[in-house]
Amino acid sequence: MSDFSEELIKSTTEDDQGERCELSGTGMHFPWLQKHIETVATGGKKEKDFAQTTSACLSFIQEALLKHQWQQAAEYMHSYLQVLEDSDSCKRQAAPEIIWKLGSEILYYHPKSNVEAFNAFADRMKNIGVMNYLKISLQHALYLLHHGMLEDANRNLSQAETWRYGEKSSSQEVLINLIQAYKGLLQYYAWSKKKMELSQLDKDDYAYNTASQNMLDHSWKTSVNLGALIQIPGVWDPFVKSYVEMLEFYGDQDGAREVLTNYAYDEKFPSNPNAHIYLYNFLKREKAPREKLISVLKILYQIVPSHKLMLEFHRLLRKSEKEEHHKLGLEVLFAVLDFAGCTKNITAWKYLAKYLRQTLMGSHLAWVQEEWSSRKNWWPGFHFSYFWAKSDWKEDKALACEKALVAGVLSGKGCRYFRYISKQDHQVFRKKIKRMKKLVKKYSIINPGL
Amino acid sequence: MSLTCPSCAAGETHSPCRSPCPRTPRMGCRTWPRAFSGSRRPPGPFPCCLLVLLSRFLWDHGDIAFAPLGKLMLENFKLEGARSRSKKTTVVSVKRLLQDLDGHQPWGCPWAYLSYRQRRFSILGGPILGKSVANLLGDLLHEELVMRWEQLLLDDAFTGGALAWVPGKTPRVGQLVYPAGSTLDKLYFQEVSLTPGGNPQVLRDPGHIQLRGPVRQVVTRTVQGESLLAVRSDYHCALWKVSRQGRPAPLQVLQVEKGATGISLSPHLPGELAVCSRSGAICLWTPQDGLRRVYKDPDTLVFRDPSPWRWADFTAHPRVLTVGDRTGVKIVDTQGPPGCGLLLFRGGAEASCQKGERVLLTQYLGEGSPESLHSTLHLICTQFSLYLVDERLPLVPMLKWNHGLPSAPLLARLLPPPGPGCPRPLLLGGQDGQLQLLHITGEEASTPRLAGPPQSLPSRNDSLSAFPVLEPKSQWRLQERLKAPTIGLAAAIPPSTSTPILSLFQLSAAGDVFHQCLRLQADPGPDSCAPTVSWSPQATACCSQWLKALLEVPPAPPVWAAPTFSHRRLLGCVEQREVEGKVPEGLRAAMAEGRLLQQRDLGSLPTAEPPPAPEPGPDDELSKRLEAAWEGQAAAWWERRQGRSSGPRQQPKRHKRRTQLSSTFSSLSGRLELSDVTSPPPSPDPEARPRPPGTPPSQELAQEHWARGVPSERQQTLRDYMAKLPLREDALEDASAPPSQTSSIRATRSRQRTLQDNTAKPPLQRDTPEGAFVPSSQTSSIQATPSRQQTPVLSGSQRIRKKPRMGF
Repeated sequence: MSDFSEELIKSTTEDDQGERCELSGTGMHFPWLQKHIETVATGGKKEKDFAQTTSACLSFIQEALLKHQWQQAAEYMHSYLQVLEDSDSCKRQAAPEIIWKLGSEILYYHPKSNVEAFNAFADRMKNIGVMNYLKISLQHALYLLHHGMLEDANRNLSQAETWRYGEKSSSQEVLINLIQAYKGLLQYYAWSKKKMELSQLDKDDYAYNTASQNMLDHSWKTSVNLGALIQIPGVWDPFVKSYVEMLEFYGDQDGAREVLTNYAYDEKFPSNPNAHIYLYNFLKREKAPREKLISVLKILYQIVPSHKLMLEFHRLLRKSEKEEHHKLGLEVLFAVLDFAGCTKNITAWKYLAKYLRQTLMGSHLAWVQEEWSSRKNWWPGFHFSYFWAKSDWKEDKALACEKALVAGVLSGKGCRYFRYISKQDHQVFRKKIKRMKKLVKKYSIINPGL
Repeated sequence: MSLTCPSCAAGETHSPCRSPCPRTPRMGCRTWPRAFSGSRRPPGPFPCCLLVLLSRFLWDHGDIAFAPLGKLMLENFKLEGARSRSKKTTVVSVKRLLQDLDGHQPWGCPWAYLSYRQRRFSILGGPILGKSVANLLGDLLHEELVMRWEQLLLDDAFTGGALAWVPGKTPRVGQLVYPAGSTLDKLYFQEVSLTPGGNPQVLRDPGHIQLRGPVRQVVTRTVQGESLLAVRSDYHCALWKVSRQGRPAPLQVLQVEKGATGISLSPHLPGELAVCSRSGAICLWTPQDGLRRVYKDPDTLVFRDPSPWRWADFTAHPRVLTVGDRTGVKIVDTQGPPGCGLLLFRGGAEASCQKGERVLLTQYLGEGSPESLHSTLHLICTQFSLYLVDERLPLVPMLKWNHGLPSAPLLARLLPPPGPGCPRPLLLGGQDGQLQLLHITGEEASTPRLAGPPQSLPSRNDSLSAFPVLEPKSQWRLQERLKAPTIGLAAAIPPSTSTPILSLFQLSAAGDVFHQCLRLQADPGPDSCAPTVSWSPQATACCSQWLKALLEVPPAPPVWAAPTFSHRRLLGCVEQREVEGKVPEGLRAAMAEGRLLQQRDLGSLPTAEPPPAPEPGPDDELSKRLEAAWEGQAAAWWERRQGRSSGPRQQPKRHKRRTQLSSTFSSLSGRLELSDVTSPPPSPDPEARPRPPGTPPSQELAQEHWARGVPSERQQTLRDYMAKLPLREDALEDASAPPSQTSSIRATRSRQRTLQDNTAKPPLQRDTPEGAFVPSSQTSSIQATPSRQQTPVLSGSQRIRKKPRMGF
């Protein structure tokens, strides 16, 4: 029992150690300083031989790992295990975690290691000290998953799930939730495999009934396992996705909507664009009204204006009857093209060219001018430079034509991009260029009076 | 020519008459800075504003302020000439005084002797010069000390690196841009041609531009076919456009009054430059609009931190910048209302930061081109970890990895993938020369991951063994030279025929440029040996030339040396006696010059018999105790004895647990021995060896120890006799256990060394060490990323902290 009581006093001693390297008075920690002024930090006392030896051994292991010398690392590790007998209780308690981290890494990459060796190591490490049991169990399960041993992983998680030590602390609770959620994810995997099988079976088949019964059992268990984790603020994308899929399959649309709405709109959760995407996709499947879809995408637009769903958002806005939506539709297109990753998105340019014409035809020149005023000092250099004219024409002539039309409309006939493209002579695009020139002449916002 | 000061006639402590003005016995710097620094300045006779004016006056018109005083005190100073005959202690030799103030240290310790002479000066001058001068000096001294201390803790001046690779006309040719010269104020442009073999060739002599201050950061970008070069000095930033022929044309010079801490060039728009200042302001310079301040906040972002370091970089949106300080990173829209923004990274719970963790470097990993997969990723480095953050999902890092670098990671470079579908290499450089190579993979729609375990690259220090063996002093100089901090990192990937090559350049603070060549290796498989590291013949030739040049330059006298005991005085005493003695002159000369002792220096010394070693008799408690008492450690001995009886009780339980564990590794390493010839046998580990039950752990060793000096026929008798003695095991264990333990470690250490010997590396090239371009060629290999991806196991507990997520 000595380990247990030691770990309970651990938290206080750990803080003391943290203070040791903060010699600056700024609160910043300088890990590299300690070795230079060791004697200052330890108050003039020299480190004991054993401490020196173990820290040297530790650095050898780390060095070997970084040099991918797994075998050497294993040999050093063999010696390093002695640290478990350090008379300094602080070090002795920190040791199991270090040993686990380094040891599992060695065993993962060592060319001669195998699952049995890893299992044996993990099982022993779990029982050295109590604080690491859950963490190690989870990582052990993930290792097994990685090696395709789903059943072993599931067994492992079930074991860890029922493990308790002392009063349930908050960190323990999160870990147990995670363990349960991973178990739920495994069950989801089994469920979706069954679903696949079921979809291949004939409904009148005898086997169909048993299979569907099986699925029902699974879903009940899984919802219990996944539900708890999703309530805690965090980013739980895979869990939420699988949970919602199961709820939807069993017709619990309200439950699914609640989970997704909570995941997207709860203030305590970190801002997560995926949450809004899931909600949008769900509502789309549900055939929700356009107004509702627009309101979801509006939030996504504020978080990630460069998302590829924005083009879909634009289409929705274009189809809407409201004038303010039409204005937002223009804004969205400009915002998408602001981003470096979207400069070659031909759909976006096509939409913008078309919509600009439409907007100007609808005599909403002010909208265009409003959008353009904040961009006119950098879009020409960013999109409509001579360099891009040349390279776009070389790589993608259709894109170049769309861009040239936008360039002409926004910055006039004098724009270098427009001039370069309009001078090109190409059989296929001759007609297009001619049309482009005509449109620019008609709609260019520069000198609109002419 | 001497005027006696009535107030004080002698150096302070022996003075029979005390000076009338109150003075503290120690007027060193210990009391000054505190009393007069900052807001704690005591209310003096002058109001504060007047004090400022006065100090300015003293600075600017020192001749007027001090000349009359100087004339008055003329007789207290001996300006030149022979030793004063009067021998009055009130006369100070100016020559000596100035020598002291210049840092001349005739006695080794700058404080031991200096204080005596300078104190005399301060006592003489103190009453006359007045407090304002002392205050002024005190402030300056305090400022200097604070600066030195901060620099010692973390020298962030070279954050980002001062070495850049500017691509040239063809992909094979480029220019290295780096500062050189003793004050790093010359910007060199060295044209380099990369060969397919990986040996870069220097073309022509480097051109250079003379600047007005030391260069701290060199940044280069190629945007829309234009190569731009920006340089940060302490108080200036400059921007050049580099033509296709490689000629730089100046575009703009900016002055930063409070001092610049970082610059970055836009990857989207040619010529846009973000500049950060110590005052907390971020400015954006654009060719169209000129300079514009886009952000200003003298306080840090998340919590209060005294560091004035600020950093700014660009994002996927050309008009949105990241603004960073030690506590976090914020995304700021330069077109939006001032002050608004979104935190991208916070040193806190979301990233599960440690206590005292601070941001040291932030970098935008995207490049202007839309093909780049990581156009929304940002790299953030702290003392402990490396984070990848996606600007679309702020605050929750996508990846966290504990880099474990023993120095500050101030340099990072993300390189293009060596081949289609390959992960992108990310280089991370520590200030002390450590280099780590990570591989980052992940499509647009999935989270970035580490492909394979990170790798440390050989550092400059590792190349030491490849140099010829030198005499200790030269060896030390070479070592010091190689140990100089890294202040720049650049990489180039020459178009290669077969295997992709990575050319790596490092700039050291001593002004050397080193070169390393890394070759991509296909998945090595389980049976591959360690990657070979070698020098090419050209590299060897170049290195030996460089070494020769290095050793020809006389060593610069140290500006400031750590205080040591004055040995000169001791040596002097010894000398006089030795003149009569027999020790040859050569020895003393060698000692005085500090050079290697050679046989001829010693002459013919009488060969002395080594003193007879003490006979190791059987140990007993009494002699142990006496021995301890003789060394003044009787109490410790007693405690040890007392503790002994309680010690072994815990032993068996722990022991069992450890042997169980160790079997995991021992079985692993044991099996491997058969297949791998190069591996040395495992070190014998007596502690881990299973022992027969009932035998105390140290007995067998202990007996071997005491029995060593005893004739074999008498050992049995002795053993019987020893068995009768009380506490035999304990006393003996004390003597024998520690050596057995350390010996196993020592064995492993030496093994390590031999391994390093194989991994020799660096330099090549010509030139003098002063501002030298000394690329060192080295061939090692990047291991291709194994097909196995990083697993949860590898990242340890970080896996739990990192929230799982799917694509957008």
